Amino acid sequence: MIIEAVTFYILATVAVFAGVMVVASRNPVHSVLFLVLAFINVAGLFILMGAEFLGLILVVVYVGAVAVLFMFVIMMLNLDFRELRRGFLKYAPLGAAVGIVLLAEILIVLGGWSIAPEGGQRFAAAPIPDGLTNTDALGRLLYTDYIYLFQAAGLILLVAMIGAIVLTHRSREGVRRQRISDQLRVRKEERVEVRKVPTGRGI
Amino acid sequence: MSPASLPNFVPAVPEIFLAAAAMALLMLGVLQRAVAVGEQVRISRVVTWMSVLALLLAILLASAVTGTRIATFGGMFVNDGFALFFKVLALLATALSLVISMGYLERHDIARFEYAVLYLFAAVGMMMMVSANDLISLYVGLELQSLALYVVAAFQRDDSRSTEAGLKYFVLSALASGFILYGSSLVYGFTGTTNFDVIARALDGTPVLGVVFGLVFVLAGLAFKVSAAPFHMWTPDVYEGAPTPVTAFFSVAPKIAALGLLLRVVTGPFGDLVQQWQQVIWIASVLSMVIGAFAAISQRNIKRLMAYSSIGHIGYALIGLAAGSRDGLESVLIYMAIYITMNLGTFAAILCMRRSDRMVEGIDDLAGLSKSHPVLAAAFALMMFSMAGIPPLAGFFGKLYVFKAAITAEFYGLAVIGVLTSVVAAFYYLRIVKVIYFDNLTDALDRAVPKNLTFVLLGTSAAILLFFLWPDPLLASSQSAVASLLGG
Amino acid sequence: MSAAAAVFLPLIGALVAGALAFVHGRKETKAGADRAAQLVTCTLMVLSALAGIFLFNSVALEGGGGTITIFTWVDSGSLEFAWALRLDTLSAVMVATVTITSAMIHIYSIGYMHHDPGKPRFMAYLSLFTFFMLMLVTADNLVQLFFGWEGVGLCSYLLIGFWYDRPSANRAALKAFVVNRVGDFGFILGIVAIYLLFDTVRFETIFAAAPSQAQATMNVFGGTFHAMTVITLLLFVGAMGKSAQIGLHVWLPDAMEGPTPVSALIHAATMVTAGIFMVARMSPLFELSETSLAVVTIVGASTAIFAATIGCVQNDIKRVIAYSTCSQLGYMFFACGVSAYSAGIFHLMTHAYFKSLLFLGAGSVIHAMSDEQDMRRMGGIWRMIPVTYVLMWIGSLALAGIWPFSGFFSKDVILEAAYAAGSGVGAYAFWMGVAAAFLTAFYSWRLLFMTFHGKPRMDETTLAHVHESPKVMLWPLFVLAAGATLAGLLGYEAFVGHDAGGFWRDSILVAQGHDALARIHDLPGWVPWAPTIVGAAGIGLAVVFYLLAPHLPAKLAASFAAVYRFLLNKWYFDELYDRLFVRPAMAIGRGFWKVGDGLVIDGFGPDGIAARTVAIARWVAARQTGYIYHYAFAMLSGVVILVSWYLFQTAG
Repeated sequence: MIIEAVTFYILATVAVFAGVMVVASRNPVHSVLFLVLAFINVAGLFILMGAEFLGLILVVVYVGAVAVLFMFVIMMLNLDFRELRRGFLKYAPLGAAVGIVLLAEILIVLGGWSIAPEGGQRFAAAPIPDGLTNTDALGRLLYTDYIYLFQAAGLILLVAMIGAIVLTHRSREGVRRQRISDQLRVRKEERVEVRKVPTGRGI
Repeated sequence: MSPASLPNFVPAVPEIFLAAAAMALLMLGVLQRAVAVGEQVRISRVVTWMSVLALLLAILLASAVTGTRIATFGGMFVNDGFALFFKVLALLATALSLVISMGYLERHDIARFEYAVLYLFAAVGMMMMVSANDLISLYVGLELQSLALYVVAAFQRDDSRSTEAGLKYFVLSALASGFILYGSSLVYGFTGTTNFDVIARALDGTPVLGVVFGLVFVLAGLAFKVSAAPFHMWTPDVYEGAPTPVTAFFSVAPKIAALGLLLRVVTGPFGDLVQQWQQVIWIASVLSMVIGAFAAISQRNIKRLMAYSSIGHIGYALIGLAAGSRDGLESVLIYMAIYITMNLGTFAAILCMRRSDRMVEGIDDLAGLSKSHPVLAAAFALMMFSMAGIPPLAGFFGKLYVFKAAITAEFYGLAVIGVLTSVVAAFYYLRIVKVIYFDNLTDALDRAVPKNLTFVLLGTSAAILLFFLWPDPLLASSQSAVASLLGG
Repeated sequence: MSAAAAVFLPLIGALVAGALAFVHGRKETKAGADRAAQLVTCTLMVLSALAGIFLFNSVALEGGGGTITIFTWVDSGSLEFAWALRLDTLSAVMVATVTITSAMIHIYSIGYMHHDPGKPRFMAYLSLFTFFMLMLVTADNLVQLFFGWEGVGLCSYLLIGFWYDRPSANRAALKAFVVNRVGDFGFILGIVAIYLLFDTVRFETIFAAAPSQAQATMNVFGGTFHAMTVITLLLFVGAMGKSAQIGLHVWLPDAMEGPTPVSALIHAATMVTAGIFMVARMSPLFELSETSLAVVTIVGASTAIFAATIGCVQNDIKRVIAYSTCSQLGYMFFACGVSAYSAGIFHLMTHAYFKSLLFLGAGSVIHAMSDEQDMRRMGGIWRMIPVTYVLMWIGSLALAGIWPFSGFFSKDVILEAAYAAGSGVGAYAFWMGVAAAFLTAFYSWRLLFMTFHGKPRMDETTLAHVHESPKVMLWPLFVLAAGATLAGLLGYEAFVGHDAGGFWRDSILVAQGHDALARIHDLPGWVPWAPTIVGAAGIGLAVVFYLLAPHLPAKLAASFAAVYRFLLNKWYFDELYDRLFVRPAMAIGRGFWKVGDGLVIDGFGPDGIAARTVAIARWVAARQTGYIYHYAFAMLSGVVILVSWYLFQTAG
């Protein structure tokens, strides 16, 4: 148990630290790298809780795809963060004040939180049926109890995809594409012309 | 492991139908492989008209499947008379928004079939919102709707104002979604559930501070969606930047859906926290009315003015909610129905403001409209009078019911502020009338008024003008909607 | 019956003519309407005059009378009165005088207004005026009296401003109305004071209760005063306004802007005498206050001499007669002041004849002179308009009080009564009256000589155009001339002579010890002769000045330039009022407008609110910066504030 606890605290601490650094670091590339670090630690936390599917999917999707995408975007856009942060100091005190007030209030709320007896029952993790893998159990839930939300999420993703295409896709004129059907349909007459060339005069 | 029984799909048939229709139309558009611009316009027209048809069919379906309250999908989705009322309004608003969009898109070379498809998905999101019975389905529906809206806001992607509007809306809306999620997590943390019915049961007795915090966050997020002050800041910029028909859509359909959602949230799961949310709504109402009234005065752009106007109108609608009584809720429903009618009419008129086939948006461009377009000018003036709440137009009755509810519930302060701000607001509405009728014609707007706009304009004008003769259908349906919401 | 006919026939005429005034259309239609209006009003007016004479006969001479109640007007608590006609000798005399002069003036107007497009309107105003005047004189209570009083004021305003396209006429009409308001204010306060004291406004009750209230007191502005003095002085203020006594006389000369028949009807014969009538009517109250009587005497005597002095230097023919009217009204007032009410009324009646004769004669002259009113541009026309000339002579002789013309009897008896009063104020009145008589004779003959004699001073076209007035204008003058000649002789015994007691009966009350009129037969021998002698002297002076040595007046004016200017400018009353009232009122008004209304009410009211609204609007709109992070920050702040609110609420 002690090892579990120690692991939890290490992972959690690093995750929070990495989260802070995402915001605080001056170099955007560093920010993305810290983001990757945060993801990995959170994935570790998931695995620690026995949710290995979620942990791994986090690594695969966020670290493997999203973070790399971010990296590409940042490198391509060549953002100048100093320019973006120009107003930072001016607004920092005010922003910090609001943030601190909010934090303090939430702490007060959480400080007054005690898990009620009946609440504890509600919060008890649903027992994973024996003989089912994590993936299996998730799948069963998603396609039965949460089918509505699952489908809705699918719609959301569809809309996101449509949106991305609508906002960025341009059908440009004059772009040469390989069209195999066209290539196959070509007849000799369209491509080859036979000319008689008079001797000694050329065309 | 028993095989899970199939959920009852019947209550969700309209949503399923509309989503399927949207995807079918999407396929139709994609498979046409239009390359030439003319081809695109043609497909876009077909898809748009079919979308309108689908929306109307969805209305019929919704009316057909709605009876007594039925919850399905494990209690996440609920269908009742209240949901029907808002679905009909939202779908109608979406359909009419599509109708008035057509000419505009073609003129600005952005006539693409995805536009209508996105509207359909947004409509699906709205239907899910007003039928949500769970914090998660609330969020999912909201996101589906919002995502579609971000895209249409930026639909005129070669116009920097439009993309700016889309981006602003996206970022700020994400923040608002964050509020909702954060609030939901607090509520979940303190009640152990996300289901509205269970939350309502869990909140018997004294409210826990954490739940109140969660409620405040959720309300803040929803207030953003209905553009109530102090979460209204995005509205003027987005309204101004977005393509005009999109602005028209924004000002009606998402508002009505978000307000329906808001009503369901505060009366359902948080019905016992009425003391708490009443204060939030009170503040939001007053701030919205004041900002809507005052900020609009110095506006020169009609779309921006309409943004502030809509903020103000939401403030008035919230009066009814703040009253918290049954007739207060009814007055909100009535107000919103009248509001979307007025707004659609007004935007149909605004869409007629073209000069040399380009849109103009300045209030001064309306000068002398009464001479160049008498009918349009009369309809425009009618809308403005109604918005200002001049009897016997519908806008007056909307305000009347709201104020009456506030007074019955002894919210005299709200009623007084409401009356005072509507006096201030009357100034800028009537100024438009003044510009239309008394300022000298400088440069006439284009003569031709498209048929679709004429149709919407005349229809809404007739509804606004004649509402007082036959108000019963609206009153009765709002009454039954509220009855089904409050159970009995 | 005859009373009701006399009073209401003019009203019918006014209504008919008023309706006809709206007839428009072709020339013939219009002319027909004009003719019909003139015919109807004149016929009804003549009938009314006949009824008036009949009434005079039956009431004053045969001793009839009583009160005809028409219907209840107000019955509210203790305030109860009716529309009623009070018929006694006083009202009968007034009705007869008013209806006869008015009838003559109506007929005269047909000729005089021949060229005017507004004939029906004019006739309607005239008839309406007559109706109000008759309501006034037959009133049975103070409110009805006030009704008539205000009605004649209204008609006076309408008639002075009859030529409403002339700015000067409008100004004069306004001036008449406003100055009369001052008097009316006093009058209505007097009515209220009477109601306060007697709890009624009916004459009969008031007069019956008056002796018991003789020593009553009244609180005014914290001081305690003799109630009767307060009441009668207030009433007298009203009388001063209506009858153009010194101080409130300024409107009368300006009122000459109206058509000449109006001047004759309103500003000589009837309306201006309403004040005299009212004082006579209220004699039971006036008799109870020595102070008030003294005030009336002094004001009357002062007006008599004051107006006469101005009359001597005016050049406008109508203004001379107007000041003369003013002066004669002064005589009537001081007659009332020495309790010789009957003498005052007697003079009122004779004056009505000879002054309307003079006015209408002047109108005839003006008519002949193509609307010229300045006597300096007349002269030498007596041969061309002999009838008018003779009539003017008759009027002037009557005015100057030469035997056997009517003025002789009435003026003499007034002066004798003043002398016989034996008091200080009586003596003042007597000497002022004698002096005024001298001036009266002087300016009357000055008028005659300047107008009819000497070299013609008008231009050729006017001179060539001088013509005698048509018959329709002359016949009324004959009637009035007959009145001016005979009224004094015939009426003397009845009005102020031995038969006076039986004539007046109880319509006029004279207190014990106020019997100046009874003592006029025991006066020193020279007193009755004084007016005649000074009158002759005045005529003589005028002969010297304007016939024998026409250069003398100019020389005199030059050597006494200050006095001349003082008189010519009417004692600077207008200028004084302009400084005292008009300009301060304008200044106060402007102050209220600029400061009170503009700065305070508009500033803090509409304009201020509007400006603040705009400022707030700018401020709110300026919060809309367009930066996402501002918006996000605003949202966050909003949430934090709301959350904090709840936190403190739960904690507190």
